[in-house]
Amino acid sequence: MTIGLTVAALGIGALGGIPLALCRRSTIPGISFIAVSLIEILRGIPPIVWLFIIYFGLGTALPMLDPLTSAIIGLGLISCAYMAEIYRGGLSAITRGQWEAGEALGMGRQSVLTFIIGPQVFRVSVPAAASYAIGLLKDSSVAYTIGVSEIVYFANDQSRQSSDALGPFFLAALVYVIMTIPCAWATRALDARLRQKVAR
Amino acid sequence: MQQKRLTKPMAIQLDSVAKKYGDHTVLNNVSLSVREGEVTAMIGPSGAGKSTLLRCINLLERPDTGCITVEGSQIDAGTNFTAKDLAALRRNVGMVFQSFNLFPHLNVLRNVSIAQERVLGRPRKDADARSMKLLERVGLADKAKQYPSRCSGGQQQRIAIARALALDPRVMLFDEPTSALDPEVGLEVLAVMKELAAEGMTMVVVTHEMQFARDVSDHLVVMANGSIIEEGDPEQIFTNPVQPRTREFLRAVLER
Repeated sequence: MTIGLTVAALGIGALGGIPLALCRRSTIPGISFIAVSLIEILRGIPPIVWLFIIYFGLGTALPMLDPLTSAIIGLGLISCAYMAEIYRGGLSAITRGQWEAGEALGMGRQSVLTFIIGPQVFRVSVPAAASYAIGLLKDSSVAYTIGVSEIVYFANDQSRQSSDALGPFFLAALVYVIMTIPCAWATRALDARLRQKVAR
Repeated sequence: MQQKRLTKPMAIQLDSVAKKYGDHTVLNNVSLSVREGEVTAMIGPSGAGKSTLLRCINLLERPDTGCITVEGSQIDAGTNFTAKDLAALRRNVGMVFQSFNLFPHLNVLRNVSIAQERVLGRPRKDADARSMKLLERVGLADKAKQYPSRCSGGQQQRIAIARALALDPRVMLFDEPTSALDPEVGLEVLAVMKELAAEGMTMVVVTHEMQFARDVSDHLVVMANGSIIEEGDPEQIFTNPVQPRTREFLRAVLER
């Protein structure tokens, strides 16, 4: 459940971050401002508050969403904002020469972005995205507060049943660590391989 | 030599191109003509504006004012030109950069093919076939499946030349193509450029390779402080420079 939640939110973030990052760079008046505001708001408000807003708040106007969906949407939106900033950093890391080579060959800006710059930005973003992912895995525990049955929920339940205040939580902590360490290893290996294919 | 010049049609025409960065004038109303099949070498001290002028030809640098005409496509920097006009002009121009700028996430073959597919709409098979021919021509067919990071500087530059040629440009621009290469390796690249010149390609080369400028170019342009201070027959300028600034520059260069 925790992993599913994290993966879903990350997926939304990785995809949603792209248009957001592009809007941020846009020269059309207003679009950049909207994008920046959106990013700052999404990053500035604590995840738990967002989840409450979406789960409880939206429910008043629209039909009630179940806890898991609310959590996925809430964390997904926040991930969009963080990924947009990661992509922004990646974009500026790619040397201008790549743009120039693409344009000199007659490729339009869109084409260069899609086929030349984009693939390189993804590779460059891997370390930052991985750090974020590991953080997200742990932050997903806030979903417990709106009733999503994930690790902390079970730990809490367990501790109440067995009147053991600390034990289940230590176990929960261990589970989180076991989940995050392979992630960190895998991304380090992936990053080393992808590094070769980027022009910084 | 001068006779030959006057009878060939115009490939590139730059009219009163000017560019300023704040208070600093980079190009001072420069005009330049390049004939079909001619090799023009541009030399001069750093900061003279040679690279900037070269990059104005395919509008990688936007001049503030001036008119650029390449093989019939004309763009007036003062007016608002469309992306279509720009694309039409760039279709005829190939460019080779000092830092090669190969695409690191694609293998060598894809590097040469991608623009053919995207810009010219050639199907992949045809594009790859053409790419292989060009790679053979520059002597690097065996590197087709490798990634640029595995190739030496000289190889990367030759691949970059193949990549530019793949779009069948009428004009090739070279921005200090050997400056990032050690002298021996630079020779491989200069050899390819010499062949290209012998085949009649219109070329404009910004370079510090004086031997190349002297032996291969048909027309020499000397720039300093944003203006062309001297231009004409290379042999004549090298042996008997008219302008004192040219003399100064050549003396410094040839004394090394």
